[in-house]
Amino acid sequence: MSPWLLIRSLATFHRWLFFATGFGVLMSAYILPLAPGLIIQRFFNDLSDNASAGANSWTFLTLLVAVGTARSVTIVVGVAEPVLHIVVGALLRKNILRRILDHPGARSVPVSAGEAVSRFRDDVQAVCMFLAWTFDPIGQVTMLMLSLIVLITIDPLLTIGVFLPLLAIVALVSQTGKRIERFRKANQEAIGNVTGLLGEMFGAVQAVKATGAESRVVNHLRTVNDARRTATLRDTVFKEFLQSVSTNLANIGIGLILLLAAGKIRQGEFTVGDFALFVSYLSGLSVAAGFVGLYLTQWRQIGVSVDRLIALMQDVPASQLVAHGPIHLRGPLPELDPVPLIGEDALRTLEVRDLSYCYPGTGRGVDGVSFTMPSGTMTVITGRIGAGKTTLVRTLLGLLLPDSGEIRWNGRPINRPDAFFVPPRSAYTPQSPRLFSESLRDNILLGLPEDSVDLPGALHAAVMERDLETLDGGLDAKVGVRGVKLSGGQVQRSATARMFVRPAELYVFDDLSSALDVDTERILWDRLFERPGVTSLVISHRRPALQRADQIIVLDGGRVVAQGRLSDLLRTSPEMRRLWHGEYDVEADGDDSILPSQPQPSC
Amino acid sequence: MGASPRDYWRLLADYLKPQRGRATLLALLLLTGTGFQLVSPLVLRQFIDRALEGEPLRILLLIAGLYIGFAILIQVIKLFETWTAEYVGWTATNNLRADLAQHVLDLDMSFHNQHTPGSLIERVDGDVFLLGNFFSRFIINVLGNLLLTIGVIVLLTRVDWRIGLTIGLFAAITIAAMMAFGRFTTERFAASRQSHADLMGFLEERISGTEDIRSTGATAYVMRRNDEFAREYSRKQTSAVLLSTFSFSTSQLLAVLGMAVSLGVGTVLYRDGETTLGTVFVIFQFTQLLMQPVEEISRQLRDFQQATASIGRVRALQRIEPAITDGPGEPLQPGPLAVDFDHVTFGYGADEPVLRDITFHLGPRRVLGVVGRTGSGKSTITRLLCRFYDPGHGSIRLGNVDLRDCALADIRDRVALVTQEIQLFRATVRDNLTLFDHSIPNERIIDALHRLGLEEWHASLPEGLDTMLDSGGGGVSAGEAQLLAFTRVFLRDPDFVILDEASSRLDPATEAQLERAIDALLAGRTAIVIAHRLATIERADEVLVMANGRIVEHGDRVSLANDSNSRFAELIRSGHDLVSSAEGKR
Repeated sequence: MSPWLLIRSLATFHRWLFFATGFGVLMSAYILPLAPGLIIQRFFNDLSDNASAGANSWTFLTLLVAVGTARSVTIVVGVAEPVLHIVVGALLRKNILRRILDHPGARSVPVSAGEAVSRFRDDVQAVCMFLAWTFDPIGQVTMLMLSLIVLITIDPLLTIGVFLPLLAIVALVSQTGKRIERFRKANQEAIGNVTGLLGEMFGAVQAVKATGAESRVVNHLRTVNDARRTATLRDTVFKEFLQSVSTNLANIGIGLILLLAAGKIRQGEFTVGDFALFVSYLSGLSVAAGFVGLYLTQWRQIGVSVDRLIALMQDVPASQLVAHGPIHLRGPLPELDPVPLIGEDALRTLEVRDLSYCYPGTGRGVDGVSFTMPSGTMTVITGRIGAGKTTLVRTLLGLLLPDSGEIRWNGRPINRPDAFFVPPRSAYTPQSPRLFSESLRDNILLGLPEDSVDLPGALHAAVMERDLETLDGGLDAKVGVRGVKLSGGQVQRSATARMFVRPAELYVFDDLSSALDVDTERILWDRLFERPGVTSLVISHRRPALQRADQIIVLDGGRVVAQGRLSDLLRTSPEMRRLWHGEYDVEADGDDSILPSQPQPSC
Repeated sequence: MGASPRDYWRLLADYLKPQRGRATLLALLLLTGTGFQLVSPLVLRQFIDRALEGEPLRILLLIAGLYIGFAILIQVIKLFETWTAEYVGWTATNNLRADLAQHVLDLDMSFHNQHTPGSLIERVDGDVFLLGNFFSRFIINVLGNLLLTIGVIVLLTRVDWRIGLTIGLFAAITIAAMMAFGRFTTERFAASRQSHADLMGFLEERISGTEDIRSTGATAYVMRRNDEFAREYSRKQTSAVLLSTFSFSTSQLLAVLGMAVSLGVGTVLYRDGETTLGTVFVIFQFTQLLMQPVEEISRQLRDFQQATASIGRVRALQRIEPAITDGPGEPLQPGPLAVDFDHVTFGYGADEPVLRDITFHLGPRRVLGVVGRTGSGKSTITRLLCRFYDPGHGSIRLGNVDLRDCALADIRDRVALVTQEIQLFRATVRDNLTLFDHSIPNERIIDALHRLGLEEWHASLPEGLDTMLDSGGGGVSAGEAQLLAFTRVFLRDPDFVILDEASSRLDPATEAQLERAIDALLAGRTAIVIAHRLATIERADEVLVMANGRIVEHGDRVSLANDSNSRFAELIRSGHDLVSSAEGKR
């Protein structure tokens, strides 16, 4: 997106702050700094003029202090700039987060979470900084025009000598754009690699410790660190080089004034006051020219940052990045609504036709899956690892965007499954549920008003009563980072309670077996079936689930290889037999209460 | 969260010493650059006075050429200085980053249970980033600018002591005012950075949990939490920038006052005929030149305020000592190890004990199956064995050596833990399997993959072992990830193996495939196996039944199974699957 559009949209988000920033920047950095030069010129002319011999000196010095005071006041007004950063930063982060949460949940960001955080930090900041710099070209042009007028009235020839180098800088810098962009991009990537690795290693700290790999991981960090240093050095030194070139040219400008003015000063055509004015404007302009260089650099770098932020939002129009909306930095926070009632749309049948999803790059996924679920039934998806079970459920729920296929709810095609398959229509417990650093209660409710739901009922259905007794603080227990203070089973049961506390027509479970013992699982199914007319879709290879299923879908290599009731499938499907017997190798008669003393053939 | 002078000194000494040569070069560059800056106005004074006196044009042109030469030289030095400063700064902060990361990894699990990866990234990367300037420039720059200030004042004093005194006074007042502001702004910036770290931690956690957020329809709630975190940061940051802007504005006002007063003194002297016009001009030039270092010092001080906040946080992090540290390093005997738990009682933090009075012995080469309901303390036993935590009472011995007497590296070298939770790195398959151990040859890795039935998976990798894996394991199923965790253990050849629900994510058919590999892994090794599947417990020589943190039964597996009164037999009768799962998988 064009930086101008970006700026316009962000500027109008908070006009008042934006214009205060503009006023502060223009006055304190560009306009008021012109005044001392003029005052000093008059001061020296007055001093060197034999007639007055410094009679008005005190007036000029008072004026100097007055202008300085005015500038200090405008600097205070300029606090609008960092405040604008805060406001705009909040807007950008909020817009991106919202788009990330709009995206199919299982592929919500194209990068690691650590890298995403680095973009939330650095690229957002880069955009904010740039916004405040909108005024710099205006300031520069104003400053240029004003000084030009003043200087030309004094000495046109010298003026050209001064301004020529400045024009050269602009030309030079605009030539180097591509390189700046490339350096910047490489630098950002290198930063992302570092933060990504840090996030991963702190996330995997137990595995790292258990393997004693601390030093090796840190060594890997050192390698990534070095790459970042190289990239950063290139980026900043090149930027510094461009700035230094402009400062240099300004200094050469002063030298040229000296050369050109030498004769005139001797002849009295050019006063010391004039000379002071030229020198003072040139140092001001050299700072401004440095800004021109920096500005053009930033202009290109901002493009890189904006691209990275847009990439984080994946496939939405770039304008969404800067779309206006409430950021609630003050005043009351928005109320959260309870889950709406299902009303007319209660589930009668759910049909899946030719559903396909392929993971980019790996060529794996699910291919042409079809099945129908009448209301009040239980469907179990089973298959070996990598067969596509989780992918199928994610695609159905819109957590992955299907490549093709159709999903019909009561015969009506669902165009955006991700927006559709949420409470009150469906609720889901993922394979590895994530909890957040909040209380257990907040993790289960996730913002539902507690009086609008049956929390005790959900805890009961998730078989959590006993856990609550042992947890310090019960429902108010802080569960720690990603729920780390809970056991794996407790995390899974909390997620199940989180599912049950939401009214839903369709409950979807991805593999509870790794977290629930058989008794608990039985109780869970019993309590689920106590709920009237409940429809469930379950990934499992455990017998209690398979035995209760109204239909079983056997997946292999992403395709359905068998479908039906357990008793039929055990006769007709070799894959089903393998899955069923793999667990209890020896039984022939269907009796599954095997004593461990029986010999087990190794396979 | 302040930092004492000793903290600054420690950091500088630790991280600049290894780069002594470059740091010295940097100091030289800065000082020469400063020196040349003092010369330029003097050149200008010469020019004005000589021009007014009507010296020959040749000399004037020479002076002008000299000025240009100096200007270019200053810029070249400055460029060189920037490169050196950045290099020194980045080398120092990168080392600090790595050391901090190492330190954080060495901290106890109880620390990690309380800090989000996002907030740790912010502390190891964000805070350290702000220190870059501190390392590369702060001391030298402040020193350099102080020298410049003193140089200017000395030169002005030589012109006239009254001017020198006036300007010196103003410079001192300005710097003192900045220091006074500094103390308060530091505190505010520290608070602001903490709330920024909290915001980033919040974002990281939510971005990792989008599947849960979307499917529960909790988007609106997460957005509101975002508002709350953003609001907190906004408050803290606004308060910090308000104060720092006010401080900047004051310094600017003081500078102008200084210039006006010195020009006033100059005027009086000129009128009294005590000085030339060129000298008044040089007073003007010098006071302008003085604004630069004073501004620079106050800018550095503002940076320094932020850096102080960061140093405080970095030092605070460094000061957290792991409670679990190396013992005297008593060596473990080679070969399979016995394990003894001796009246071990343990609870996480101040919570209820999770283990109560656990005592058992497991001989070398024996395999122990641990069963019991979820929450009964099974995984905690394995965590204590890896010495992630120390028992509150009692002791644990590995091959008759108390774990607290061993070097941690020895324990973790000999004990391997496989849980059902596996984290993948955004790195090559090889690095993911060896955890960055480059000494393991390819053949061994490929061999291990084959033994675990991952030939096909290996063959499907476009660039073999060099294929990059996505973080979070995109494209690798949870079951495959578990097999990769097994591969990690195979490559390490440990003497003691702990499988904590390690195959629970696998379907029965794949698990059956894995049986042979597990047999090979357990052969000749001591092992503790927690599993809910019959086949896995089948390997156990002994079984230990846990309930509510206590051992309720321990004995030979076959005899317990055959004793119809045993808890174990009861468990077998009550369920198809043996036990339960799932104490924490992390």
